Amino acid sequence: MREHLKEIVEALVFITVEPLTAAKIKSVVEDAAEDEIKQALDELAAAYEAGDRGIHLVSTAGGWQFATKSAYDPQVRRLLQIERKSRLSRAALETLSIVAYHQPVTQAEVNALRSVADSSFTLHTLLQKKLIKIAGRKKAPGTPLIYKTSEDFLIYFGLNDLSELPSQEEIAKILEQENNLET
Amino acid sequence: MENTDFTPGAPDGYQVKLEAFEGPLDLLLFLIRKKKIDIHDIPIAVITREYLDYLNHKDRINLDREAEFLFMAALLIYIKSQFLLPREQPLTDGEDPRKPLVDRLLDFQKIKAACVLLKEREDEQLQVWRRTAPPPLPASAEDAPDLIEVSLFDLAESFFAILKKREYDHTKVMRGKDISLEDKMKEIITLLQQRSFIDFLEYLEAQESLEEALIAFFCLLELIKSHIVIAVQEQLFRTIKVWLRKDAPRMKAS
Repeated sequence: MREHLKEIVEALVFITVEPLTAAKIKSVVEDAAEDEIKQALDELAAAYEAGDRGIHLVSTAGGWQFATKSAYDPQVRRLLQIERKSRLSRAALETLSIVAYHQPVTQAEVNALRSVADSSFTLHTLLQKKLIKIAGRKKAPGTPLIYKTSEDFLIYFGLNDLSELPSQEEIAKILEQENNLET
Repeated sequence: MENTDFTPGAPDGYQVKLEAFEGPLDLLLFLIRKKKIDIHDIPIAVITREYLDYLNHKDRINLDREAEFLFMAALLIYIKSQFLLPREQPLTDGEDPRKPLVDRLLDFQKIKAACVLLKEREDEQLQVWRRTAPPPLPASAEDAPDLIEVSLFDLAESFFAILKKREYDHTKVMRGKDISLEDKMKEIITLLQQRSFIDFLEYLEAQESLEEALIAFFCLLELIKSHIVIAVQEQLFRTIKVWLRKDAPRMKAS
């Protein structure tokens, strides 16, 4: 492995705000193979996880990022003077999960799945929060806009890609638990 | 705050506000659970009665959403009518008037379960913090968008710091050249056009006399006021840089 690769990778991730991909690192460190870089990232992540550190290296949205460990959330919030991060409203979460699981979707499809007359306000809010994006127009009457989840969506939920969304099995399990609660 | 809580088994039974239901499907699912109904075999008459009963409580109705809830009531009654009306041919096994609604309910149930899981993830992630400050930008005079524009007080403070420094080394007063405000202003602009920016503190310190520094300072204030230059500070406690505004009104430099 290239000398000091782990340190280089650490420095690059440190200075980047967006999740940094192995490919991007490779464009900077030319004489290292992408596999080596990935290995260095994995090792670095393991070292942060194992050591007594306040931050760790997390892989999210296909890249790598430093994040604080959740145990130190109270202190971070005190420092930043943020009472609490705002959560998504129920309508927003519902709409977002429809977009996530049924994408690409149009507003009409979202409305139908939610059985509401108008989801435009919620969709607009999600667009503003950059959790969803407009992915073009559907070739259908009225050429309605189609929506997809964004990279920020992955970051927001700490997912690497859409395949890490809760699976159908996990969803089935939740439903089963709910049914068991009632009987 | 949105009230989404309804506590099953609370002493006075279900306390439900209609806003707690995102839509009619939500309310239907709730009633199906409450009545312990099999979702695949919904007794339409029972559920319709329950449903209408809810809508009849005016205080529970959110007028904005009334149409959606009423539409569902109409759909329920329509489904019931499908059962009651005589048919030429009896319904086959695969043909159940309830099926479209049941499919929608099942879909919606899945979405709600997914929401539960996503909410867990959200809660988890809310306790995690990431850097948000932009990384250093490639240095360029043209795009310096994220710098702090300094206030008059910052400028004055820096200036007085220099004055204090000069108090000691400036001892003899020489009757030298007379500097006009106008000349100095032209000098500053010429300098800016050559160098893209000047370091404010360095510039003041480089002035020959206290008088000249003072004039330079007034020039700077005047130039900022007339939107010809902008004074920015890269970071707290760092030096103050002065840039020519791109959109500055045309000024003739001598």
